[in-house]
Amino acid sequence: MRQSGIYAIASKDIVFESFDGEAVVLDLTTGKYFGFSDSGSRLWDALSSGVPASELVGAATGIGALDAAAIDGFVSQLLEFGLLAAVTDGVARPVSSEFLAQLAAAREPLKVDIHDDLADLIVVDPIHEVEEPLGWPAVKQAN
Amino acid sequence: MPKVTLENLADYARHVLAQAESSAAHYPLTCKVGLPHLDLTAHVSAGALADAFAHGFVTAPGSRTPADICRIFVAHPGIDGIAVPASWGQGPFTQHGFATQLAEAGLRGNHFHDLDFWQFYDPQRRVGVQLMASADVFPPWEPGAPLRPFLHWEYAARGMRLAHAGTLGTNGKGVLLAGAGGAGKSGTVAAGLLHGLDSVGDDYVLVDLSNGVTARPLFSTLKQDPQGFARLGLKHRLKAHGPLNWQGKHTFHIDDIAPRPVPETLDIVALVVPHIGGGEASSIVPVSRRDAMIALAPSGIAQMPGERESGFRFFSDLTRLLPCYRLSLGTQPQEIAGTIADFLARGDS
Repeated sequence: MRQSGIYAIASKDIVFESFDGEAVVLDLTTGKYFGFSDSGSRLWDALSSGVPASELVGAATGIGALDAAAIDGFVSQLLEFGLLAAVTDGVARPVSSEFLAQLAAAREPLKVDIHDDLADLIVVDPIHEVEEPLGWPAVKQAN
Repeated sequence: MPKVTLENLADYARHVLAQAESSAAHYPLTCKVGLPHLDLTAHVSAGALADAFAHGFVTAPGSRTPADICRIFVAHPGIDGIAVPASWGQGPFTQHGFATQLAEAGLRGNHFHDLDFWQFYDPQRRVGVQLMASADVFPPWEPGAPLRPFLHWEYAARGMRLAHAGTLGTNGKGVLLAGAGGAGKSGTVAAGLLHGLDSVGDDYVLVDLSNGVTARPLFSTLKQDPQGFARLGLKHRLKAHGPLNWQGKHTFHIDDIAPRPVPETLDIVALVVPHIGGGEASSIVPVSRRDAMIALAPSGIAQMPGERESGFRFFSDLTRLLPCYRLSLGTQPQEIAGTIADFLARGDS
């Protein structure tokens, strides 16, 4: 397993809320949204609060046990999206029985979707049709 | 002229605000409009923005309680004492970084780089300035929702929010229609208005969570693309329609098609995500709050400069307060309006 360590939320600009157990994360810097499946929401909660990824291998969900490859892929996505960062001196938190019960009730595979809404914004307000880290916004024509 | 960077941004904002205020006597026009909890005064020049200010708002009832006064100066070098706007210097720019830098100085701001167009607001004193290179140099979306960022900042400071959403209602109760552009918000609102329902707006409405969820009107402009305009019968109903706007859409005013005066407020009872269904008949089914939140929040936050985290928290609270539904839109405007009217009536029974 490559992503076996302890993680934390990557920065103070990563904020999240939970809706009936389903997480929505916003990167304040880029304005991108991330929506999680039910099992993904459970893992987001666990990983972002310091549960080591390696401790989650084999945990039961409503559609089967989580294997190392699935967790690896999920963690890699969260790192790639800049939502989590590895910590070297973090304190590992144990897996709670409440987490295991919630995960066991999950019916969807591990998944995180990205919503950057740019297509909408091109139409309604082209100032936002930008890749912000690259520089200034410029008017672009809707296709 | 020195370029503006993140380092001198707050100083430049203060300079622009002071310059605009010290030239107050030189603005050709002073326009006033009563909005919810706010008396807005704009010092402007004659032209498209003054016209938009005169016709682009839904005025709050004159009998309301006294409101706070907010003053906005629409400034340009054609007004005595106003200098040419500065340009942004070299270096990285992000909307969030720009807003954060100003917020640390107690200010709010927005900038459109292509036109050297600046908007700065001091929420403590309720004074703002929109600085332009000349009287007619502004982004094309400005007249549709005049001074939108200033209202966003002012209402955000009061714990309210401009939501990028449409509304429909009856008997004081209504739904908030959320979704990406092209999902059918504006067409749904127009269909409802044409068939007896009320609305407080089809694009941006003022939402308050202090006593349940309420929506109030701010802007009077409605928009429809030419296909929707024809499908809804507006081509014949609105004989005098002007040129298409910058999006290629017809614009008109809510009073043009509303069955009765725009209500002062709607008590919002559901968050509804419309989408083009492809079927003949409309239907309304539950949708997860997660999906409703993702339909509602992103454009509402991204289109409003600054206040991103408070916006995220606000829309999260809103979504938790309401049942959420997906509306599959049929093809007939009257049937769509009837589906929503029936939905609201069921909530009353």
